[in-house]
Amino acid sequence: MLAAILVPIIVVIVIIVIILLAGVGIYNGIVTMRNRIDNAWSQIDVQLRKRYDLIPNLVETVKGYAAHEKETLEKVIAARGLGMQAQTVEDSAKASNMITGTLKTLFAVAEQYPNLKADQHFTKMMEELQGIESNIAYARQFYNDTVLSYNTRIQTFPGNIFAGWFKFIAKQYFEIEEPEARGPVKVQF
Amino acid sequence: MYKRIASNRRRTTFIIILFVMFIAALGFAIGYYIDYRYGVSQEYSILLMVFALIIAIIASFGSYFYSDKIVLGLTGAAPLSREENPRVYYMAEGLSIAAGIPMPKVFVIEEQGMNAFATGRNPGNAVVVLTRGIINNLDDEELKGVIAHELSHIKNYDILLGTIIVILVGMVTIISNIMFRSFIFGGRGRSSSSNKNAGGGIFSLVFMILGLVLIALSPLIAMYIRFAVSRQREYLADSNGALITRYPAGLANALKKISMYSEVRTANNATEHIFIASPFGKNTKVAFSGLFNSHPPIEERIKRLQEMSLGIGVKSEAEIALEAQKNNEIKQEEIS
Repeated sequence: MLAAILVPIIVVIVIIVIILLAGVGIYNGIVTMRNRIDNAWSQIDVQLRKRYDLIPNLVETVKGYAAHEKETLEKVIAARGLGMQAQTVEDSAKASNMITGTLKTLFAVAEQYPNLKADQHFTKMMEELQGIESNIAYARQFYNDTVLSYNTRIQTFPGNIFAGWFKFIAKQYFEIEEPEARGPVKVQF
Repeated sequence: MYKRIASNRRRTTFIIILFVMFIAALGFAIGYYIDYRYGVSQEYSILLMVFALIIAIIASFGSYFYSDKIVLGLTGAAPLSREENPRVYYMAEGLSIAAGIPMPKVFVIEEQGMNAFATGRNPGNAVVVLTRGIINNLDDEELKGVIAHELSHIKNYDILLGTIIVILVGMVTIISNIMFRSFIFGGRGRSSSSNKNAGGGIFSLVFMILGLVLIALSPLIAMYIRFAVSRQREYLADSNGALITRYPAGLANALKKISMYSEVRTANNATEHIFIASPFGKNTKVAFSGLFNSHPPIEERIKRLQEMSLGIGVKSEAEIALEAQKNNEIKQEEIS
């Protein structure tokens, strides 16, 4: 008699506990993935900062040889400033694309100054910049991969239910605009 | 991915426990024999077992923390600095960013055979080892493929299991060798000197039996390695590596070149399984090599990668042969 009452109750309790545990697991999984995005973002940030640090030096060196290319140099500085102020991923990505673009112009300009091209300091910075550009590309790839798996998780069942309850928002990708910007800047000496 | 990390940790724990038990049993057996032979109390068996147990536990801890250094020493690898080879250094740096792991150290083995492996206990303490031959003979995309393959071994803790197996199997092999030799030389010495000390004969007989048991076990242990470091693992590292570079053809072309000359002279039975391709090359002289290959057939790996690449960037056999020839010519010029 007692068993007839207890068994269904125990079964129900067990089912509830299982559902709760599964819920905790899914929730923790999503939070872990979100934290991984922060980590991936910091990888991009490190590389972007390295580039920010390098640009003033580069501009100074170019100035020494090609002072009247003011417009190009200012554009590079402006893009750098924009990048440093950027608050969102979207803005950062935009500024980063701009920097890549303006640097490309700068290198095209540098082509016309043989003395500049012969400057060892300049050559070294160019090499370093190339390394940073390709590292940015790699970091972006890792970041976007991480965002992709997070976004997929919170947009598919059962993650989407949790996303609704706990306000998990889809993250932005670090995008590049022009297709030709997909590779690192090619520099010819 | 995360399931594989857990599985690798579990297997590592399992194999260490197996090793500790094995050594303890060995200590007990020897102690038991001494008790029996010399009629002492039963204390020696327990004493030796405890002694063996302590040694085995110390060895296990030691191999957890130092196995990577031992493996590097065994294969004669030396660190590669950024100044010495910026090409390889920056490649490793960029690819580890893409893989989302800290940058591993890069070591080089001064050998012309083309091969590579990774070792360490976790991504924070990992080393990628390349031979001089692989650095010199592969182009950028191919070398990136190889490094990415090793990085994915690091990322999912294949390196922990692989490296610990090297040390533990190495130790079992050494012990079985000592026992076997002590029987052969011990036996010979006694027979030539005198027959008065006939008891020594029995002693060496037991050693022989133990040694034989160990030797008989070695292939089984080796087989376990082959299963633990299963073929599936190499396929997975191939595809994960291709995911990092986004260029499966790079690794496919690399494997084609590697398969022509992958011999590493400092490699041995204990370290074989950690290499990207068998360090014994194709003409392996190890018994049962066909049955117990630690690596899946390289042709099959190339085929899978080529399918992944949809044919983009895949080099034909003729192109590979031509490049190999060019590299040889450059080498000849450098020598002359």
